[in-house]
Amino acid sequence: MSGTRTLVHLLSVTMLLLWGGVLLYFYISGRLANYLPPDGIFRPMVLVSGIGLVVLGLFNLLTMGAEDAGCEGHDHGHSHDDHDHDHKDCGHDHAHKHGDCGHDHSHDHDHGNCDHDHEHKHAHGACDHDHKHEHGTCDHDHDHKDCGHDHSHDPAKKAGCCGHDHGHHHAHGAEGHAHGILEESSWPGRIAVLLILAAPLSWAALSTPDRYSSNAIVNKGLYDPNYTDTSRAEQFSLQNKPKTAANAAAVVTAEKVADLPPAKVTPAAPAKPASPPPPGVAVASAANAETKTPPKNIPPPAQASKSYGTFSLEDLKAQVPQSKDGNFILEVPELYYTGGDVEVQKVLTGQMVETVAQILPEKVNNADGHRLRIFRMLVQCCAADARPYSVPVDFGKKAPEFKDMTWVKVVGKMGYKKEGTQTVPIIEATKVEETTAPDNAMIY
Amino acid sequence: MIFLADLPAPSRMGDILMAFLSIVFEGAPYILIGTIFSGIIDAFLPAKLLDRVLPKNKILATLMAGFLGLVFPVCECAVVPVIRRLVQKGLPLSCAVTYMLSAPIMNPIVAISTLTAFKEFQGLSWATAGNATMTIARLSLGYLVAVIVGLVVLRFKPGQVLRASIANKIAQAEAADADDHVHAPAASFNGKLVHAMRSSMRDFLDTAMYFAIGVVITSAFNTQINQSLLNAVAGNDWLAVPSLMGLAIVLSLCSTSDAFIAAPMTAFSMAAKLAFLVFGPMMDIKLLFMYSSVFQRKVVVSFLIGLFILIGLLSGPWMSLVQHLSIKP
Repeated sequence: MSGTRTLVHLLSVTMLLLWGGVLLYFYISGRLANYLPPDGIFRPMVLVSGIGLVVLGLFNLLTMGAEDAGCEGHDHGHSHDDHDHDHKDCGHDHAHKHGDCGHDHSHDHDHGNCDHDHEHKHAHGACDHDHKHEHGTCDHDHDHKDCGHDHSHDPAKKAGCCGHDHGHHHAHGAEGHAHGILEESSWPGRIAVLLILAAPLSWAALSTPDRYSSNAIVNKGLYDPNYTDTSRAEQFSLQNKPKTAANAAAVVTAEKVADLPPAKVTPAAPAKPASPPPPGVAVASAANAETKTPPKNIPPPAQASKSYGTFSLEDLKAQVPQSKDGNFILEVPELYYTGGDVEVQKVLTGQMVETVAQILPEKVNNADGHRLRIFRMLVQCCAADARPYSVPVDFGKKAPEFKDMTWVKVVGKMGYKKEGTQTVPIIEATKVEETTAPDNAMIY
Repeated sequence: MIFLADLPAPSRMGDILMAFLSIVFEGAPYILIGTIFSGIIDAFLPAKLLDRVLPKNKILATLMAGFLGLVFPVCECAVVPVIRRLVQKGLPLSCAVTYMLSAPIMNPIVAISTLTAFKEFQGLSWATAGNATMTIARLSLGYLVAVIVGLVVLRFKPGQVLRASIANKIAQAEAADADDHVHAPAASFNGKLVHAMRSSMRDFLDTAMYFAIGVVITSAFNTQINQSLLNAVAGNDWLAVPSLMGLAIVLSLCSTSDAFIAAPMTAFSMAAKLAFLVFGPMMDIKLLFMYSSVFQRKVVVSFLIGLFILIGLLSGPWMSLVQHLSIKP
């Protein structure tokens, strides 16, 4: 291997170790908890691929001198180092031949990129030498019959000075080595590639705050809540779970009705639950949330909603832990989803609840400044898809000042108000105090 | 465990870095899987094998390639290095493009995540399978679009579509076949392994570079643009579909998770969500750059425009069709 190639190889290995190292560091330090959900394969995949990258890097480091079954190891019979071929002397233009073939011949012309010594070409005075014999196991076929351009130009036409077959130039660009972008580029190009590979990752790894600023949370939809959302309702809806199986089919029905444009609504036949869902999956809640409070632009659902389970104070007590003072301890997403479920609202209205969340100013229906908004970030697959789930907190008087993003414990009485097209769950605060961040800032 | 106090304070730049890292953590493992595959393909897969396995008729082969994702399920990050290598190994370009576009959609993992996100999973049986409207519409439209693009690509020569370095390798492989000279000769297993791992390293770095560029841009959009702005156009039939496709480009979500983002957008029609879910896995900012490692720039731009128009036009009628077929009176 030439010096350049060795260096590129070592740099490639370094990049793999850098990527692998960052993945492993975030996994081992536990900081990954702020980026990926604990369930599913996302976090283990980071560990596995971190190890994989390091192993791949080390493997390539240790086998650097080994013979490659492709044609890495062959030498072409000439030095790859200092090439001083001088195509200027050829007196012909390399560029004009290749207009149509659709691939980039620039490497031919920019010999700064090319580690091969082309000198041998010139040394062969005769025009008809065959380069193939020099290439060892690597089959450089120089016949580019499919390129769409003609390589078989008559050397005699070429100013008479070099007369070598230019076909082999192209072959060098693609000589079956698995040449990556680092191998094919010139040094400025290589440095750019290395920077792109290393800089954003290192910068991010070194100076990520592991949490979003209020700016990102607003951009991700803080002031645009949709309480009738059902996407994560099975996880956060308070509907009582034992009734799930009986209502399984209603989900499909309800979805169907909700999804149709108004003109086409046909109350779907109450399908029979063909296969009960696995225990513990609160499907019915999704249907309930969807149908009980008809949101805008969804037609009033068919009578199907009557078949859904009811919700009682006993159900609430059975499901939700209570504090010493008897407050129901609920997460913000759970409160959020009650906005779509009238049965739960009936029970929860007037109950004392307690939750821990982050606080930001309220910008919706807050002309008198009595409100603040509390939120939690909910992550589906990675922190990039995190969305804030939020509810307003009403103080009944001028809201106290909190630094943006402060973690607070809110205690208050639940209430529901129709505002605009939505039923908004509102905590009428009795006590709001600063608290420490929970272990998992993100909810998954 | 590092305490929050040791970390930099949140800032706009911090938001971008946070989103960047989280997409890297989500995507890099799959790029590694894809590149290890591609390295192994390079070293161990006989060049002629694909020719023997695939139907001789290229149209038939393209139609089949659209289903390959069911057998080799990959998401869009992993598929790029794999097809890059398969093309060099003689997989017809039309098949490669069809596989590349359909595999991130026509794939069991994505089917399950879509069923789950749209609440179509529970109570699903053969009798009610037709009720999984979104999942059916997504997989079938993804397949259809991938095949259409593949058939269009069939009309072009590899040299017109692929990057120079890739096209050269195809020419070389063909020539090698003509000489009956196998590219990787009867080398030892160890030699092939070294070759495979070197290929994997280079493919990973190539792919990761384009991935990194795309993710930097996408994390800026992801955190710096107020996504509620979209809701203003949600009710407009003409604007809803293109604006959700625009969101798909900007967010660059993984095809295994995008359904969970689309499902809560109740303001948007099912057709607009379908467009989001079919277009997103085929084209977004990170893919725009990753595709550039395989295709010429003008081809990547053509993909962008062509897919945008094609899916934009088809998603509405397709959703209506699937809904019509699925509703039993």
